Amino acid sequence: MSDIVQTTAVSSAEERPQPRLVKMVRFGVGEKPTAAISIATALAVATLWWLVAELDLVPHLFLPRPGEVLTQVGVLYYDGYAGASLSEHIFASLFRIVLAASIAIAAGIPLGLLMGLNRWAKGILDTPIEFYWPLPPLSYLPLMIIWLGIGETSKITLLVLAMFAPICLSAQAGVRSLPIERVNAARSLGARPLELFTDIVLPSALPEILTGVRIAVGIGWGTLVAAELIASTRGIGFMIMSAAQFLATDVVFVGIGIIAICAFAFSAAIRFIEAVLVPWKGKL
Amino acid sequence: MLKVDHASVFFAARDGRTVHALDRVSFEIPESGFVVALGASGCGKSTLLNAIAGFLPLSDGAIILDGRPVRGPGADRGVVFQKDALLPWKTVVDNVALGLKFAGVSKSERRARAHELLRLVGLDEFAKALPYELSGGMRQRVGIARALATEPDILLMDEPFGALDSLTRDQMQELLISIWYRTAKRIFFITHSIEEALFLGTQVLVMSPRPGRVVARFDLDFVRRFAATGDARSIKLSTEFASLREEIRAILHRAEDFRSAA
Ligand SMILES: Nc1ncnc2c1ncn2[C@@H]1O[C@H](COP(=O)(O)OP(=O)(O)OP(=O)(O)O)[C@@H](O)[C@H]1O
Ligand SMILES: [Mg+2]
Repeated sequence: MSDIVQTTAVSSAEERPQPRLVKMVRFGVGEKPTAAISIATALAVATLWWLVAELDLVPHLFLPRPGEVLTQVGVLYYDGYAGASLSEHIFASLFRIVLAASIAIAAGIPLGLLMGLNRWAKGILDTPIEFYWPLPPLSYLPLMIIWLGIGETSKITLLVLAMFAPICLSAQAGVRSLPIERVNAARSLGARPLELFTDIVLPSALPEILTGVRIAVGIGWGTLVAAELIASTRGIGFMIMSAAQFLATDVVFVGIGIIAICAFAFSAAIRFIEAVLVPWKGKL
Repeated sequence: MLKVDHASVFFAARDGRTVHALDRVSFEIPESGFVVALGASGCGKSTLLNAIAGFLPLSDGAIILDGRPVRGPGADRGVVFQKDALLPWKTVVDNVALGLKFAGVSKSERRARAHELLRLVGLDEFAKALPYELSGGMRQRVGIARALATEPDILLMDEPFGALDSLTRDQMQELLISIWYRTAKRIFFITHSIEEALFLGTQVLVMSPRPGRVVARFDLDFVRRFAATGDARSIKLSTEFASLREEIRAILHRAEDFRSAA
């Protein structure tokens, strides 16, 4: 007896290793890190590009070498392109998309929540949204240009329209997935309608809304570049289009690279916001 | 006084039939009454509670609270849900303080009050945790603290201790009794457990399903006896307690047999 007691006492006094921390296993990818895999994939693609270009498997006109594209970045940075500096082109594109995204978010979230809550709002707004939302934005760009001119207004309106629908629809979906107990609990704790909206409905819908914003920003980049291809003298899309006409493939590559980096940065920012605002997502 | 008068509820089932969930249920909760509804699963207990809370309109009948018919939910009736309905983005202490926030209490004051209640239910250590970091029983206790925070004069509790282990359950029962005895709150309490019903209720309503109706009522004073003596064991072991337990068991079984025979 005393032996056993002593053994336990001694073993517990021994230095314990740092315990292994565990988490609930989640379904799907969840929070498992994917960054290393993504970086490896990027490196593999770059190597493949370099190989294909070096071995001349594709005519040089179609596929410049990685080194040339890098040099071209420097050239564009110092000399600019088509009468504007590189940063002016980037800034023009960023300005359009940030402004349009802000307007789309500021309008889409409240209207979407309202449509999820109110029969009249849903009935009235459903018709125009369901009508225009499936249309490819470029199909009504000519109309925008006729109505609003060739300037910034038509491009930003186009972007706002393209980005508004996914945000609005996701906000509606967020309201629909709101558990009724949560609302009942708040009402029996004395929540007034406005408090119900700000304290219960909005936070409950936030995960869905953020997913909608991510989709909207993706659509926004696609639409932006397309709009700049057609009607612009500034912006990354314009730079790509104009370079393509002169068969300057390396400039086209630089343009695509810049868009990719910007879009990736936006996406990462939204994911960061998601991690800060809805750490409870999918856990309860 | 809360008066439930011939309350009936019919639901539309999805296949087009109607479900008669509540059939002319009548009872009263007097000042400092502790009414317990007891019955098998599906006999309409939650339906009855939802109607009293104001979440569900009645098909027929009336619910009168202090002379006024119940029209919707309100802070005068605190609800503890069968499934905890905590806000996943708020910490435990802010969940408890939610009702005080709606009442316009200042942040520091409601935090202090919430901490006090968390101490009462034994969760003060977890004040800063998020609900998903708690066990089911702990979440349920947070739900109880939240309902108590606004000091409603009626507490509506839907199987609040169903998810607790028997030890915690005993502690929570005694805690609830002491709160009830000190504050003279009216309580409407739902349970599956005959013992729990007998121990807690000043009145026990035994319900039977399809349609949900009250088949027997008992006026009891075990809970007052406990509040006076603090001795749960001798009450639960008394012959009076045991014979009532068997009587209610027989009623519930009869209702069950009757239903399966029909
Ligand atoms: N929203 C609804 N629509 C249709 N039928 C419903 C609805 N809610 C409840 N019912 C039916 O009403 C009856 C009573 O349900 P209720 O939830 O009140 O039971 P309960 O006594 O609380 O059971 P439990 O102890 O399992 O919680 C059940 O037959 C159920 O199928
Ligand atoms: Mg129930």
